Amino acid sequence: MNAPLPLVPRALEAGTLGLRWGPFSLLIAWRPLLTGLLLLLALAGAIALALLAGDTWFTPADLWAVLSGRASPDQQLLMIEFRLPRILVGLLAGAALGLAGCLTQALSRNRLAVPDVLGVSDGATLGAVVGLIASTSGMLGPWWTGPLGALVAIVLLLLAAGRHAGRGEQILVVGLAIAALLRAFVELLLSRQDLTHAGALYNWSTGSLSGRGLDAALPLTIGLACLFLPTLLLLRQLNLLRLDPDIARTLGVNLQRTRLLALLIAVLLAGLAVGLCGPIAFVALAAPWLASRLAGGGRLALLGSALTGALLIVLADTGGRILLAGNELPAGVVCNLLGGPFLLWLLFNEREGEAR
Amino acid sequence: MSRLIVDQLHATHGQRPVLRGISLSVEPGQIAVIVGPNGCGKSTLLRSIARLHAPNQGTVKVDGADIWQLRPRHVARRLALLPQAPQAPEGMTVAALIRHGRHPYQSLFSQWSAADERAVTLAMEATGVADLAQRRLDELSGGQRQRCWLAMSLAQETPLLLLDEPTSALDLGHQVEVLDQIRLLAASGRSVVMVLHDLAAAARYADVLIAMRDGHLLAAGAPRDIVTPALVKRLYDIEATVLKAPGDGAPVVVPLEGGQLRPGAVLSQSLHVSSGNPNLYS
Repeated sequence: MNAPLPLVPRALEAGTLGLRWGPFSLLIAWRPLLTGLLLLLALAGAIALALLAGDTWFTPADLWAVLSGRASPDQQLLMIEFRLPRILVGLLAGAALGLAGCLTQALSRNRLAVPDVLGVSDGATLGAVVGLIASTSGMLGPWWTGPLGALVAIVLLLLAAGRHAGRGEQILVVGLAIAALLRAFVELLLSRQDLTHAGALYNWSTGSLSGRGLDAALPLTIGLACLFLPTLLLLRQLNLLRLDPDIARTLGVNLQRTRLLALLIAVLLAGLAVGLCGPIAFVALAAPWLASRLAGGGRLALLGSALTGALLIVLADTGGRILLAGNELPAGVVCNLLGGPFLLWLLFNEREGEAR
Repeated sequence: MSRLIVDQLHATHGQRPVLRGISLSVEPGQIAVIVGPNGCGKSTLLRSIARLHAPNQGTVKVDGADIWQLRPRHVARRLALLPQAPQAPEGMTVAALIRHGRHPYQSLFSQWSAADERAVTLAMEATGVADLAQRRLDELSGGQRQRCWLAMSLAQETPLLLLDEPTSALDLGHQVEVLDQIRLLAASGRSVVMVLHDLAAAARYADVLIAMRDGHLLAAGAPRDIVTPALVKRLYDIEATVLKAPGDGAPVVVPLEGGQLRPGAVLSQSLHVSSGNPNLYS
């Protein structure tokens, strides 16, 4: 066999193609591939819209001028210096949250087990708030405060949930309790701050991307770059984990290692995103769900979740900038506005007995 | 050489001993069925054989190799487990489910080899689900779904198959459908070890019946040799007659009315009656 030969066996479901080349073989499913491409296109469209829209609107011709380097300094300044950095940050944070949500959902085999619910987001919030208070400048603390807070939260959660950590609703209830506790700490700290700190804190805690720039984009880029590859290597194991933990183990999966690694990656990603952009709710819940719907066939859509998350936050931020003229809505607030109805829609669409 | 040899197995749940010195062996092509009252340790025994529960003492050997000395991936090529009432993610197709059984043979760069394809096709044909390959698992009947899960375990191409109550969620028709399927599989040379609740089905389908209580082996052997009123009494504390089934002559256990010996019998019966009204206790 010299060239890859397409096979048409009954043993594969429709829309799947097996390719073989000597000892190597690949399995390609068209639908996730196509939806991935469509999501990329949609994301490109959303980025273009975000560049053009705002208090000052531009035309696609202006965008082309900027891209080809023939734009006026005003256009250059507004699109490249002001709008592009926050788009980048939103995109990266969305991808991190989508991926984190997808991982925790797959791990716990529960669609509601996302960083927001498990207390990870509140841990990151607490970490970032402590970092901010400790800094003298009234600016956000260093990038690692969020992930550190998130790690502390998840360690607390695992200790409290103990042996039941892997299964069922128990971990959600414990997570809610820890989230509430951590939020109380955040409130307590906030109530004791002077105005300089409180202003910056408020801006951050609404999930506003306003003023976020390369200082936030850089850690997010590095974090995503370092954590995405290991996630892809875990994909096969995670897929089995969603079947049944016992089956996964008898199929040769090292359950504890897989769970620990995936949880660590999810916590770091969510911690980074929340620490740098503020608590943006619902993205980690909605993105994986939408992505797996798009990919179809009960697949775990890692890449799709990241792309959907990115798309959601870029759109939410752009919407927040143009909906109320002269009065910007933070991306986190837009997500909260859309998240409630989405959750209800999810509940009503869920078929009975399939709450996963 | 025996397919499976369990030697002096002791295991605990926390501090509580669950298995207290279990020894048994299963030959190629045999169906061994474990029976016993709730909490007798039969599930733990199955999980210990599957390398899911670490024993405190004793060994489990599959085709001569101690499973705790092997790497998980190599154990996965020797034995497959089908847990009780497994759940698949929503929307998964039958073909995708069965393909999961090939995991121990696959890697990032070998996702669908010719051997994978052959094994999946054979597993589908052996369980009669080839025509369902494109369907979604959640739209099938209970019996069809269980045959698909069985096909997944078959695609793993292991000489030993472990099944935990494979018929627990099925009506009588589907129970017979699945058990007949399992008998066919054993006839092709695989060994099957399964836990069954239903003593009648166990006695009918087992080559070796393994009766357990309180972590001990009470009896092991061909059903028609070991199923007696005395054994039923020692297992379940009930008086029973043992009849011969018309046809194959398999022993059929018929509990005698009022044969319950335990003082809790009255209570458990009254609970059973009232559980007919779901609103009362839910």
